[in-house]
Amino acid sequence: MKVTFRVPRFDAATDFTAKYQIYHVEVTPYTTILDALNIIKEEQDSTLAFRRGSQSGIDGSCGMMVNGRNRLASTTRVMGLNATEIALGPLPGFPVIRDLVVDFDSFFAKDAVMLPYLVTDIAKPEDGKERLQSPKDANRIALAATCNQCGCCTSACPVHWSNGEYYGPSALTRAYRFVEDSRDTAIKARLEIVGSETGVWRCHTIFNCSECPKSIPNGENIQALKRKIMLNKIGLGRIEVKVARTEATV
Amino acid sequence: MRQRYTSDVLVIGTGGAGLRAAIELHDQGLKVLLVGKRPKADAHTVLAAGGINAALATVDPEDTWAIHAADTLQEGRMLGDPRMVELLCQQAPQAIAELEAWGMPFARTSTGLIDQRYFGAHRYRRTCFVGDYTGLEIINALMREVERRQIPILERAYISDLLHTGNRVNGAYGFWLADQRQFVIESNAVILATGGHIHIYQRSSSRRRENTGDGMALGLHVGAHLADMELVQFHPSGMIFPHELAGTLVTEAVRGEGGQLYNRHGERFMQRYDAERMELSTRDRVALANYTEIMAGRGSEHGGVWLDISHMPASLIRERLPRMVEQFQAVGVDITREAMQIAPTAHYSMGGLKVDPFSHATNVAGLYAAGEVTAGVHGANRLGGNSLAEILVFGRIAGQHAAEYVRQHSEQPVQAAQIQQAAERLAWASQQAGDFQRSLIDQLQQLVWHGAGVVRNEQTLEASLDQLHTLRSQSQQRSVGPADLAASLDLQSMLLTAEATILAALMRPESRGAHQRSDFPATDPLWQRTIVIKPYRDQTEQLRLELTTELIPTASEDVQAAFNQQEYSVAGRLVE
Ligand SMILES: Cc1cc2nc3c(=O)[nH]c(=O)nc-3n(C[C@H](O)[C@H](O)[C@H](O)COP(=O)(O)OP(=O)(O)OC[C@H]3O[C@@H](n4cnc5c(N)ncnc54)[C@H](O)[C@@H]3O)c2cc1C
Ligand code: SF4
Ligand code: SF4
Ligand code: FES
Repeated sequence: MKVTFRVPRFDAATDFTAKYQIYHVEVTPYTTILDALNIIKEEQDSTLAFRRGSQSGIDGSCGMMVNGRNRLASTTRVMGLNATEIALGPLPGFPVIRDLVVDFDSFFAKDAVMLPYLVTDIAKPEDGKERLQSPKDANRIALAATCNQCGCCTSACPVHWSNGEYYGPSALTRAYRFVEDSRDTAIKARLEIVGSETGVWRCHTIFNCSECPKSIPNGENIQALKRKIMLNKIGLGRIEVKVARTEATV
Repeated sequence: MRQRYTSDVLVIGTGGAGLRAAIELHDQGLKVLLVGKRPKADAHTVLAAGGINAALATVDPEDTWAIHAADTLQEGRMLGDPRMVELLCQQAPQAIAELEAWGMPFARTSTGLIDQRYFGAHRYRRTCFVGDYTGLEIINALMREVERRQIPILERAYISDLLHTGNRVNGAYGFWLADQRQFVIESNAVILATGGHIHIYQRSSSRRRENTGDGMALGLHVGAHLADMELVQFHPSGMIFPHELAGTLVTEAVRGEGGQLYNRHGERFMQRYDAERMELSTRDRVALANYTEIMAGRGSEHGGVWLDISHMPASLIRERLPRMVEQFQAVGVDITREAMQIAPTAHYSMGGLKVDPFSHATNVAGLYAAGEVTAGVHGANRLGGNSLAEILVFGRIAGQHAAEYVRQHSEQPVQAAQIQQAAERLAWASQQAGDFQRSLIDQLQQLVWHGAGVVRNEQTLEASLDQLHTLRSQSQQRSVGPADLAASLDLQSMLLTAEATILAALMRPESRGAHQRSDFPATDPLWQRTIVIKPYRDQTEQLRLELTTELIPTASEDVQAAFNQQEYSVAGRLVE
């Protein structure tokens, strides 16, 4: 089947506005959007710029707008869209560098603010082995931990569009993943970060961000963080409880 | 203007091995720079599914590092280096503890310990895992530590040459994939953590443009030795159709859960290859059986055999093999009702750079290597789950020893002539037409698949060697069209490492593990030797390969005592 792709061409170094270019690609039922872009680049126009990595939905390089929705190009099958014309675009809400490539620097910088690594003062077992964690606690973070920072959620968030300072759902989910980790003890520091001026209270629970390729419920994670901040304010946080529970699971 | 970077140690590769090495170097107080040709969180390691091995003895208290080492050496058909294997098995538990301390969300037992399961031909349950995305979580955990330490990473940056002067390495040269701008990196030592070379095969479980053997080729160009290049692991089951997905793994768990193999006559052919274990036989044997059936004309129209699990209850299949159900659904096959078509696919490079078993130094001063790019651990058949352990243990060890080297050797500034030489190679590559180079890559992959694939013999190998030389001379003629620097350079690395694989396969006159020679079907005890490949330059300055063999040291007494006397079934142990 022949499908028409409409792709904006833009170079931040030289252009003020994007021009649109049309490509025609023969697709099979298995061709993904990214396959189609690869075909265009290799056979029709080597100047077209887009990001690709895993080509299989793993690393989150290929987030882009496909017929009005943020998706991973490498996991979206062309025929699955039931359209013979497909409009592609860069992820909204980020500065465009070239064509479909956006500038993620601010996005990654926000992630870095979340202390995106385990911080803990639970003593390491003396035998040099692992800290304990119950299967239930491990499951609690399993889904949020699969976030590949594709940016589809943050890019879909209307609050982020209007306020570039807002941390956005991806960074907040990252904080959530550590706040919920029974081995982590920097819960207070992280709650302070996400509870700050540019954090969770900016979220108007519009839930645009729930269209995550990994099915991570970002909106709910943010709600959970809000609840946690409130509980902590009134002294019902589970900071102390957490350490106790880690021991209790033995 | 060419960009210039300096560091004490340059680590090439941001897979598990490279990231772990960089963390170690940083913790030793050195200035380290990481470079990868793909996006930073997307090295090949992310594909690893099944898990990572360590004899923690959590679930099976009888397990010890020595038994782990014995299993590894025996399954490797005694071609692994016992010194390296022992070190790996002793230190793997520490690697797990490290990952855990870095927040890896391991699956847990009811008592809160890290859970362990069976994987392939292991005697005990020693594979730790996170769902079916263990590799991805390892990368996530390591990447977080790299960020915590603020170690700089150049991503989507392609290293085209190592810089080498006065018999030691002093940096590297490369370019940005996005805009082809070039850069020089000065560094006192270099660690290659660039992964394997299985992309030389038409069908492989690697993705496009990775595993092109870059590290092995970069090493050869500065005089580093390779070993075990004839030993390539073929996974019994890769998808064959549609061709966009050809090579994509079909997990062994399908066989583990009761999947049966059939040829076009509806015959359950494993009866003829391993009547006792049937589909639950080892990787090399099942791969060989599938291949033989296909070659004998008993395969499917797409060139595969049928793997059928539809006799099991659909609910069980959905519960146990959700990823497979999804993977095939996407191509219109409902595996709860119909059979899958599969064929062997190249999966892992057991050979690679020859390194010192203790320091992971190559024979070139200042050049270290770790991970799939090295040889020594897996012998003639890799055990599932050992490779993730390897990249962590030896990533750290390579980092540690490179750090020591840097402390003992003063810097050797990069000279203009070195840069000139590297820039000339890129200038050459930028005059080659990308289309043409890519078509040569396709041809190379086909000839290697047919000549040095699952089963080889002198005839197929010799023929493929001839074709390879023809391709190489074609690749050097100037062609007209838009350039694709990466494709041109990938091709050169693939040609060189394919040549090494073919030559080594020609030299080994026996069948052992993954190396199957139809003209030498038996294992020859005299060939319990390592084939080593050394590069040299002929009169015309062309790089050539010279092959020799080396004896393999014997295992320590602890490990010898643990050798298994009988072969056992892998039933219930195929996970990945
Ligand atoms: C589908 C699949 C499943 C697997 N499952 C398991 C499993 O369950 N357990 C297990 O133990 N093993 C498994 N493996 C094997 C294991 O994943 C790999 O062997 C291992 O991850 C290799 O890691 P590495 O760090 O050595 O290299 P890689 O992860 O391959 O990283 C190589 C790095 O080098 C970079 N690079 C390469 N060339 C250049 C260049 N010229 N310039 C700049 N950068 C360059 C790449 O960009 C990349 O960052 C599996 C493999 C596959 C394909
Ligand atoms: S939460 Fe989902 S959509 Fe957002 S960055 Fe992570 S994977 Fe992408
Ligand atoms: S729920 Fe919050 S974060 Fe998500 S899109 Fe809405 S405002 Fe943005
Ligand atoms: S290319 Fe990696 S997620 Fe699409």
